[in-house]
Amino acid sequence: MSVLEIDNLSGGYSEVNILNGVTVSVGAGEIVTVAGTNGAGKSTLAKAVVGLLPRVEGEIRFEGSVINAVPTEMRANRGIGYVPQVANIFPSLTVQENLEVVVGVTDQRQRIAELFAVFPALASRRRTRAGSMSGGERQQLAYARALMTRPRLIVLDEPTAALSPALVSETFERIRALPSIGASVLLIEQRARQALAISHRGVILDGGRVAMEGPADTLLADERAANLYLGQHG
Amino acid sequence: MAFWIELLISGLVAGLVIGLSALSITLVFGIARFPNAATGDTMTVGAYGALLGHRATNSLLVGGLTGAIAGAIVGFLGYWFIFRKLAQRSNVALLVASIGLAFVLRAILGVSFGHSQQVFQLPLVRPWRIGDVPVHPNDLVLAGACATILAIVFAILHLTPIGRRMRAVADDPALARVSGISPSSVMTVLWLLAGAVSASAGIVAGIKTVVSPEMGWDLLLPAFAAAIVGGIGSPVGAVVAGLLIGVVQEMATPFVGFTYKIALSFLLMLVVLLVRPRGLFGKLEGAR
Ligand SMILES: Nc1ncnc2c1ncn2[C@@H]1O[C@H](COP(=O)(O)OP(=O)(O)OP(=O)(O)O)[C@@H](O)[C@H]1O
Ligand SMILES: [Mg+2]
Repeated sequence: MSVLEIDNLSGGYSEVNILNGVTVSVGAGEIVTVAGTNGAGKSTLAKAVVGLLPRVEGEIRFEGSVINAVPTEMRANRGIGYVPQVANIFPSLTVQENLEVVVGVTDQRQRIAELFAVFPALASRRRTRAGSMSGGERQQLAYARALMTRPRLIVLDEPTAALSPALVSETFERIRALPSIGASVLLIEQRARQALAISHRGVILDGGRVAMEGPADTLLADERAANLYLGQHG
Repeated sequence: MAFWIELLISGLVAGLVIGLSALSITLVFGIARFPNAATGDTMTVGAYGALLGHRATNSLLVGGLTGAIAGAIVGFLGYWFIFRKLAQRSNVALLVASIGLAFVLRAILGVSFGHSQQVFQLPLVRPWRIGDVPVHPNDLVLAGACATILAIVFAILHLTPIGRRMRAVADDPALARVSGISPSSVMTVLWLLAGAVSASAGIVAGIKTVVSPEMGWDLLLPAFAAAIVGGIGSPVGAVVAGLLIGVVQEMATPFVGFTYKIALSFLLMLVVLLVRPRGLFGKLEGAR
């Protein structure tokens, strides 16, 4: 069964359509990469999934039910996690408060302890104001915050964009492990080759439309995809 | 010397009034994101509420609670019937709406209670003398009450789940929603709190001076000055700047006279803004 089905989705921030009939699905246990050039509408698609896009037409289904009318905060409660491209932590809250503030976690203490075990760097800085941390630490905190609710779908918007090269492969390894803890992944990435390498399937957006799609290894081998979108050696 | 210490004390009490009203302004600005011009008249509502409660029961505590509850109700009603409906509009639209609400509140108070000045009938107490300095027991009670209110507000903000959520919404409303935080529950608590806090400021001002329908409007400008000097959106900054402005105004009165002391809060605001544009405690990353 598909965790997420985006069906002929159009929409945007005003009357102008940024997305023009996008169809994408994420199956249970799958990682699906969404690639595409700057301004292709990748982040806009992510916002539509979590309910932050002002206007959408078409259908978004999560675990079989249509969620178009479900407000953002309820989608989070239902099990959709989201790490935005920028501004993905609460800078004036401490590390621990960033996790405590997430609503709908019944065993909050235990969950925070679990996540601190996964991200030991955060545990040692639990009383630090999140805004004063480094880019890598912020990124870890952003993940931990999104994982608090044990989401069954996690939407990651360019998780490696702000990271130093050394942290990039570590981050991809972490993402690769997400399905094993029950989270399917919609992975938006500019580093398309590395993203496809850990993905089951891929979709390439261009001008708010799906330009190419298919199994990850097919896309990686595809001449046209390489020439137009992925670069020869990403 | 004693004269100056006396001025300092009355400056601190005046500063608590300014600080509390600035705290209300800065909370609303940080979370609902507009300058609430109805803050002053919510103060007036608090003062009249306390006056009625005090007259009915002869207890300052009951009076104060009545006033604070009246302020909280006004804050909530303003949110529910006006600001909630305009939430998607620009903050200029919200500011204009709050000015409208301010006029309506003042008109209602004027019609209900008349325009003559009223005072709290408190028993006269002989001031204590500490050295040469006369200290009025009422001032201590008021200062203690203000400190308690501040402690409650900061405890709510920093020690409770709803306070954490309020700070999260102040940081980033979209990320707050993504984290499962419902904006309407945060807004409801914000407005109850902001209303009660501005009412408390009005109550203290009313006890120290006189109660009239215009009192809150007159106190609005120093309150905004303090919110800006403290760094808009910073609760600690609002209180510190309020105390600062209160003390500067009182201590300068012998030099500039009573009429011009209000102007000093603006002088202070200009100086702070020139030297430190984000205010004393303004957030570095608040440049959104
Ligand atoms: N908040 C917004 N309001 C209006 N238009 C926006 C907004 N955010 C993005 N856009 C527009 O939507 C289009 C798609 O932007 P989007 O951020 O989805 O692209 P992207 O594929 O994520 O690009 P990037 O790789 O640079 O992150 C762009 O033309 C952009 O200008
Ligand atoms: Mg983007």
